[in-house]
Amino acid sequence: MAAITVLTPTGTLGYGFGDDALARGMSLGPAVIAVDAGSTDPGPHYLGSGKPLVSDVSIKRELTALIRAGRAAGIPVIVGSVGGAGSGVQVERTARLVREIAQEQGLNFRLATIRSDIPIERAKRAVAAGEIVDFEAGTPLTAELLDETVTLVAQMGHEPICEALDGGADVVIAGRACDDSVIAAFPIWRGADPALAIHMGKILECGAFSAEPFAMDVMLGTVEEDSFLLEPGSTARRASVKSVAAHSLYERENPFKQSGPGHEIDLSGCSFEQVGERQVRVRGAKLTETTDYYVKLEGARLAGYRSIAIAGIRCPTTIRALDAILDDVRRKALDYFAPAPVAVAFHVYGGNGVMKELEPETAPQREIGLVIEVTAADQELAHAACHQISGAMLHYHYPGIINTSGNLAFPYSPSDLDLGPVYEFSAYHLMKVDTPTELFPVRYEDL
Amino acid sequence: MNTRPLKDLADIVRSKNAGPYRITFDILFKDKDRYEAVRATGAISAESVARAYGIDVSQVSSFFEIDMANAIKITIRRPRAQGSSGDGDMYGCQHHVPLMLIAVPVG
Repeated sequence: MAAITVLTPTGTLGYGFGDDALARGMSLGPAVIAVDAGSTDPGPHYLGSGKPLVSDVSIKRELTALIRAGRAAGIPVIVGSVGGAGSGVQVERTARLVREIAQEQGLNFRLATIRSDIPIERAKRAVAAGEIVDFEAGTPLTAELLDETVTLVAQMGHEPICEALDGGADVVIAGRACDDSVIAAFPIWRGADPALAIHMGKILECGAFSAEPFAMDVMLGTVEEDSFLLEPGSTARRASVKSVAAHSLYERENPFKQSGPGHEIDLSGCSFEQVGERQVRVRGAKLTETTDYYVKLEGARLAGYRSIAIAGIRCPTTIRALDAILDDVRRKALDYFAPAPVAVAFHVYGGNGVMKELEPETAPQREIGLVIEVTAADQELAHAACHQISGAMLHYHYPGIINTSGNLAFPYSPSDLDLGPVYEFSAYHLMKVDTPTELFPVRYEDL
Repeated sequence: MNTRPLKDLADIVRSKNAGPYRITFDILFKDKDRYEAVRATGAISAESVARAYGIDVSQVSSFFEIDMANAIKITIRRPRAQGSSGDGDMYGCQHHVPLMLIAVPVG
């Protein structure tokens, strides 16, 4: 098998890469440009709302550079999980940018779009048939949860992307895809060992985060007969055994086992070998195909509408009494608005704002930053409850009070800010499918 | 016996989401000697991590010692899902401090 080089320009499309690093990477003769554009990491908002994670300005600028480079070299460009969550509206939004780029740059090519939206009824049938397995949500997926779900996608494996390559695609704009599948698809399509290609994909999908110094930048991986070789695009970076081994732990629970659509990869026998100053060779991944093919579902539902207020607290007597004050104003707000449910949360920065109940330290603080957060069924109610709480706190009387003119220092007027709809994950489960491609239709356009 | 906080002995101590329902901690050491020295003390374990965060050990979902990377990896269940009401750390990337302050016995 001939060596196959994948160029990954960055860890998330839209987060940037060096022009020089791209030029140098392209001079090394990659067979494909492949990049990931999304994740659940920024939270459920992008899946639920359909809004893009990265601005159109940044996506278009980077896609223009990549499509021009790909067309000049005659190699495909593959982008997965477009828009941040890979939902249908996000696929369409990115496809629109690609059409604009083709027109503005005077380029002709075949665009393939791959949808990953799962019809709610399809998932409900799977629930009824017992074909859903909890992944990590800790609760079973139910028909009721699915009815509340506003967007449901599934992570595709490499197979739908290979189908698009079979169809002659020059640019592939894919919905939600397993991160490593986006990178691994082309090498597998060309006959590379899937275990090596997928393991390489897992490392390359973060761009030059596996290099040192790490950055959102160009990284290249070359799959060979029984190993793959990693190298950053920029000569200002190097791949080291340490940087690659460290990266193989990142953002995942099990360092020895990597589960993906239709397979499991055993990494316990892997070895990393330094090649020269800037390259690392990786060996030893072993792939087992699972008996049944499962895809991971990701769903979001509307949790309500949110309003917040931000305030500082400087008075030591207020800070000392704060826990009791927060409990009391929360209780009074819940009573005031009952029976309408309002969810009240306090982020006490300077106290336990970041870690909440996981915060072990209780040292007294000089100054507190307080965020009052209210989620309710509609924006008006959320705003009303937030203002009720911020007003009650402002003029709250407590034993030992020394300053009776106000407990909160607001940086803003209005003190209460409306943040709009709030989404929560409603599905994070595995669903059995008959074939790897049945849920991921490919559509072609000749631009 | 003298102790030192883990942060003085490790090269990197970090936390990050591993999906919306987990936070994973990585402890990376500069070399095999330091990794093995800390590992041999047993100071970093599912139990000690649970104690550091005031959670039941059942909330620690996995613990790995990774020789090939000179690393220790611990994963816990999030008290509330990423992005749900009251969550204060969308990326889970600022949860490492109690871990890096765990006291490790030194010679």
